[in-house]
Amino acid sequence: MTTTAQTPASGTSQGARREGDTLTAYLFVAPAMLHTLIFMLVPAGAALYFSFTEWDMISPARWVGLANYQEVLFNGDVYPDFWKSVQVTALYVVLSVPASLLTGFVTAYLIDTVRRGESFYRLAFYLPVVTAEAAVGAVWLWLYDPQFGLVNQALGVIGLEGKDWLGTPSTVVPALALIAAWQSGTCMLIFLAGLKGIPSVYYEASEVDGAGAAQRLWRITLPLLRPTTFFLTVTGLISALQVFGLVYVLFSGSPGPEGSGLTYVLHLYLAGFRNGSMGAASAMSFLLFVAILLITAVQFRLMPRDFED
Amino acid sequence: MKLLHKSLAALAAATLTLTLAACGGGGEAADANTVEFWYYQPTPEQAQKVQALVDEFEDANSGISIKLVEIPKADYNTKLASAMAGDRGPDAGYLDQPQMARFADADQIVEVPAGTIDDADFYEGALQTNMVDGKLYGVPLQQTTVVLFYNTDLVSTPPKTWDELVAVSEDVNNENPDVAGVAVPKGDGFGAWMYPGFVASAGGTMLDEKNKKVTFADVPAEEALDLWHTLLESSPREITNSDLPFQKGLAAMMFSGPWDIVGIREQFPQLKFDVALMPMKETEASTIGGDNGVVFSGADNEDAAFKWLQFLSDETHNAEFADITGNFPTNIAAAEASTLADDPQIQVVLQQLETAHARPAVADWIQINDEYIARAIEAAVDGDTPPADALDEAAERAAKLLGWS
Amino acid sequence: MQNTDTIVLDELPTATKPPTGARRRRASRSDAPRNRRNGAPAALQVVAYVVLTLGALAALTPFIWMVATSFKEPQDVFTRTPSLLPLDSQTGAWAGTLDNFREVLGLGGFTTAMINSVIVVFVLVPGKLLLDALAAYAFARIEFPGRDILFMVILATMMVPGVALLIPKVFITQELGMGDSLSGIIVPNLIAAFDIFLLRQFFLTIPKELEEAAMLDGASRMRIFWSVALPLAKPALAVVTITSFIYHWNDLLWPLVILSDQDKYTLPLALQALVSGRVAQPHLVMAGAVVAVMPVIAIFLIFQRKILDGIAMTGLKG
Repeated sequence: MTTTAQTPASGTSQGARREGDTLTAYLFVAPAMLHTLIFMLVPAGAALYFSFTEWDMISPARWVGLANYQEVLFNGDVYPDFWKSVQVTALYVVLSVPASLLTGFVTAYLIDTVRRGESFYRLAFYLPVVTAEAAVGAVWLWLYDPQFGLVNQALGVIGLEGKDWLGTPSTVVPALALIAAWQSGTCMLIFLAGLKGIPSVYYEASEVDGAGAAQRLWRITLPLLRPTTFFLTVTGLISALQVFGLVYVLFSGSPGPEGSGLTYVLHLYLAGFRNGSMGAASAMSFLLFVAILLITAVQFRLMPRDFED
Repeated sequence: MKLLHKSLAALAAATLTLTLAACGGGGEAADANTVEFWYYQPTPEQAQKVQALVDEFEDANSGISIKLVEIPKADYNTKLASAMAGDRGPDAGYLDQPQMARFADADQIVEVPAGTIDDADFYEGALQTNMVDGKLYGVPLQQTTVVLFYNTDLVSTPPKTWDELVAVSEDVNNENPDVAGVAVPKGDGFGAWMYPGFVASAGGTMLDEKNKKVTFADVPAEEALDLWHTLLESSPREITNSDLPFQKGLAAMMFSGPWDIVGIREQFPQLKFDVALMPMKETEASTIGGDNGVVFSGADNEDAAFKWLQFLSDETHNAEFADITGNFPTNIAAAEASTLADDPQIQVVLQQLETAHARPAVADWIQINDEYIARAIEAAVDGDTPPADALDEAAERAAKLLGWS
Repeated sequence: MQNTDTIVLDELPTATKPPTGARRRRASRSDAPRNRRNGAPAALQVVAYVVLTLGALAALTPFIWMVATSFKEPQDVFTRTPSLLPLDSQTGAWAGTLDNFREVLGLGGFTTAMINSVIVVFVLVPGKLLLDALAAYAFARIEFPGRDILFMVILATMMVPGVALLIPKVFITQELGMGDSLSGIIVPNLIAAFDIFLLRQFFLTIPKELEEAAMLDGASRMRIFWSVALPLAKPALAVVTITSFIYHWNDLLWPLVILSDQDKYTLPLALQALVSGRVAQPHLVMAGAVVAVMPVIAIFLIFQRKILDGIAMTGLKG
């Protein structure tokens, strides 16, 4: 905790520091902290408590100590799909986070490059985010359709054999990651905001130096976008680890062929709300929380080292 | 829970005084004469019909008023759970059939007082879904089942037995390899819901609750999986995994419910299809779904709530109420008198309902169904695991979960 | 990576010396037409247009299908390949209809639900923008004891799956007397960790010199926040506005568990009535989705300009 906390903090200490700042700062963060206490920490405390109980939400919770954690992690009879859901999620994260970031960045950079139609492209690439989930589900089901799907038709044109993308366990997660990349509009928007925030002087200066477009991208744009990229990597990982809605729509709440679409949070949701094991679901939540916390801590630690080379 | 309840409340109250001193107090005064009834949000026209039923009921029972709360079906259980956890549940409402045992075991629903309904008025399967440990905990309000759908351009006579089903499926696929014989159920929750109907048809059961024995690994259950596995040979998944394969003419047959009768007529008017009873092995059988009306333990006025459920399930009103959810009456007289009986295809469904079997009434059934049985189906039907092995593993897990030997 | 090795997360971009030879004058020697800002050459422009146009097509297809379906008759919805126009599935002739929209707009309680949704987002979004920005600014720009711990606490709240917190959160909201009311939708959502994190990252990139200048003039922190930091963070504020608006405009689950009284239903809850028939009704669902998405697009078009405008105010342009 301490090491991770230091990293984002270092650097701002010099300069702008004045008397009375401490009080002002507390006033500034007070609403957020109070709100977080009431609506996040207290519920999280309650959920932590429930993770040590057997609780079906309708009868009183019964204290069972670490039994939920033990069952979830080690009892393959009660939770045969737990580790499967970990694997599915890990693969999804590995594929979807880079895919979304890359797509988001490339579209943002290109939109920032073109002289005309910027508004149109921004809207177009953002629309997948606002399109109704049901429409997204319906259209992707068709795109991946083994009989009439556009994906298979396109592959046919270049002489490749089509697949039953959402019906074959090995292709389910990659298919999901592609949809995630397609929905990277928010990523694009945040990169774009970052790009717009780069002061023109830097570009102008480099132009004087005679640096080419590629050099500018490498030497100015990318380094200056690091806070943005860092933010998107951290939040992208956090949300990818909690992916749920997309799978839920595509497989109508079932885990997909051979559980290939059973993401961690889908598994947790089904255990809690469908099977009535909210105690175990709470335990799964905290296991995920610890995992995400560790991953994020590592990210905060790795980031500055990355800057040093 | 109580302790946490209190400490949570104390914490919340403390923060409340700190921040929102002038906030209005919540919670309406409990009214002993008002029954808050939760049910699935219907379409706007149908909501008006429910309101008309409420008006009629209130006129006949002065002093009782019904407060309807309409909740989207997909999120009904989530909302119910979160309300009950905060002691803010309704007086009465729908309860999904497989939830009955859980709520009864937790003493969250009230046993139906003797004399509220006459058992003989109801379809056996629908009534059974309300029985937990031999006691009646709810009133069947509406139900549904699955029947055989067949494309009349591809299948001239619907198969009556499993053997005929396999033969017809093979004929279709031999005739045109691009068409599947039947859209074979999959190892998901839906397939696992249908599966007990096939097991029952082969003469088996899923659980023996009296003797605490898991029976879904017995021979009839294996035969049911064998059937699906065999059907797959003439019904490739590459074809049936396409969206709506039966509706688009890619599969000659499917097992589905009455919602598809209505849906196909409306959305695929060109498709020539008919429905028939499920093909059988030893005996006619199908599976049952639907919702029951229950009175929750915290109800302010249990009598009034049961009167309302009685009203919804009686001969005069049950057909209309069931229609609102797109399902079928549970009251036999109501079903026979309704206009539904004039529709020959719907008539088949009504007939099938007579042999529809209730799911086992154990609290953990949903998990056993969705996770263990569904997985066994997948392994044995789509995979190469012998049905006996797949089912044995599932049965062993189920027995452990239930605490049965 | 020369010239950029001094960059650390918190010191962008002031700590970065503009690459060697920086001079505050416009370069006039470029012969090929270039992007005014990032200096991409003309050839890249062509590539950009091609890639963007193809990508836009892929991005737009489902949206177009959604709109087309909203004009379709039920029997024309399911075709072997989705038709992006409302055509008769048999004859291929034009068969658009406004019936679906009539049904959606005639939905019982539609107007009330629309008004409720408008109230929710118009109170919630500005409110959370202000509160999140205040906290984010303090985390980014003021040093105070416990800052890092508090910030980590905020970050950590993003890491617990919401599913597990749902029931306790509902319970607290009800205990606070906000059950079954619009305030029960607004208040619990006033702070979002994601937004605080995003805004903090942006505040970090604002040159400190600008603040220091204001401080020398004797401006208070509040004044600096309001007049210096907030205007500079406009691109990020626009992003937060757009994403928050969309999220809360479309949110179904939280209003669902909080509200029971139909007069308080928000738009997504009211639209659920369209899917509750016995048969899936994609034509009605899509009509409802199209109605719901209109305000979202309007908000997007308004605020996306801010992403562009923001930079003009930094005063750093050459």
